[in-house]
Amino acid sequence: MDYVIDILGPLLEGTAVTLQVFLITLLLAVPLGLGLALVRVSRFRVASGLVSGYIWLMRGTPLMLQMLFIYFALPFVPVVGIRLPDFPAAIVAFVLNYAAYFAEIFRSGIQSVGKGQYEAAQVLGMSYGQTMRRIVLPQVFKRILPPMSNETITLIKDTSLIYVLAMNDLLRAARGIVQRDFTTMPFVVAGAFYLIMTLVLTWGFLYLERRYAVYED
Amino acid sequence: MKKYVSHLLVALLAGALLTACGKQEAPVAATPAKPAEISKIVVGLDDNFPPMGFRDAKNELVGFDIDLAREAAKRLGVTVEFKPIDWNAKEAELGGKRVDVLWSGLTITEKRKAQIAFTTPYLENRQIVVVTAASPIKTKADLADKVLGVQEGSSAVEAVEKDQAGKTVKSLKKFGDNVTALMDLSTGRLDALVVDEVVGRYYTAKKPGEYVVLDEHFGTEEYGVGVRKEDVELLGKLQQAMDDMKKDGVATRISTEWFGKDIVK
Repeated sequence: MDYVIDILGPLLEGTAVTLQVFLITLLLAVPLGLGLALVRVSRFRVASGLVSGYIWLMRGTPLMLQMLFIYFALPFVPVVGIRLPDFPAAIVAFVLNYAAYFAEIFRSGIQSVGKGQYEAAQVLGMSYGQTMRRIVLPQVFKRILPPMSNETITLIKDTSLIYVLAMNDLLRAARGIVQRDFTTMPFVVAGAFYLIMTLVLTWGFLYLERRYAVYED
Repeated sequence: MKKYVSHLLVALLAGALLTACGKQEAPVAATPAKPAEISKIVVGLDDNFPPMGFRDAKNELVGFDIDLAREAAKRLGVTVEFKPIDWNAKEAELGGKRVDVLWSGLTITEKRKAQIAFTTPYLENRQIVVVTAASPIKTKADLADKVLGVQEGSSAVEAVEKDQAGKTVKSLKKFGDNVTALMDLSTGRLDALVVDEVVGRYYTAKKPGEYVVLDEHFGTEEYGVGVRKEDVELLGKLQQAMDDMKKDGVATRISTEWFGKDIVK
């Protein structure tokens, strides 16, 4: 037990890194995903096609590869040549990647709303934008909560991929201690940390589901 | 106005992305291609590589190489920043100018000399063979048809591949780190591990009686400090600082602190 208390400090510091990557990614990728989904279902064929291509690219290659590309390869790309420090590089990769997944979740929600509702809204004199905001999106938010909860929980565990940029997240911090002390105990503690984080997320989404239940059709 | 909300949102997102890109270009432009005077060096290291470089209970970087690098930076009159890197990507980190120096038990090999400029060796190191105490393996010849482990990207890979005994093994398993390899050794899936002596001794000392180090080894190697080939001035200054440290006994003191004896070359 004393040992667990000893290693808590570094593990908490690792948790802070994990949570930073998680929260910033969530904060940026959800709106971006919504925007992409709106373009994807819009009548603008070219824009919609571009978004489809983007989603294919982002879902079609490993997140780790994207991260390595942004960190190591981007500085050598002619003209663009951006050399990002490790943290921004990780954030850019995570946001671009997760926005693609979120976009598809939003699209499934938007397209689950029946055509009749659009027609009814049109009869009432609502524009496309008004229909989206007042009729469609409130129902979307409720319906996509379970898949969003899935993706968010995946995100918190995926943050451990930043070890390839040698960033000290929770899992890498635990590995560091395992390597120093030659005992597997830090892995057990790190596992408990992840479980606590996913438990909070699970509860949070349950609460949201209950709150949005007022939109029950 | 409200009907423009979705268009606005798209425009905002696009704008946010563009400004984000714009901001990130700034630091690159601010970095001059050739600094007139070296005022700071970024040392890239494997921070999971005890006792050369690792994190202590307070999560601070400590180790033999860390102490040496601090002392050298002091003598150079520059500030030093330690940047943990993924050891498999060390050449890319150095080449991409994310770090200026590689100082982390870096073995001088012919292959690496093609990309990295080294100081003269500061430590001699053997590639030792670690087996479990109960293992029937006593010599390198016993390794025939056995599963041999190494750390991926470490110089042990080359040492094993060029050795005659390395050619008779059943397979060479490359691990992300030495600890997982040692754990695999304990489970019996791995028969022997080839590892840097300074690192291997650190671990075997943690679990007395569990592991045995064979008398035979896979050759002697030397650790050096690596810089980019074009950084001739930095290499010269580092070399001078290290020579001075060896002469005035500071290197000996640091070595004694970490290894209990003077093993500096």
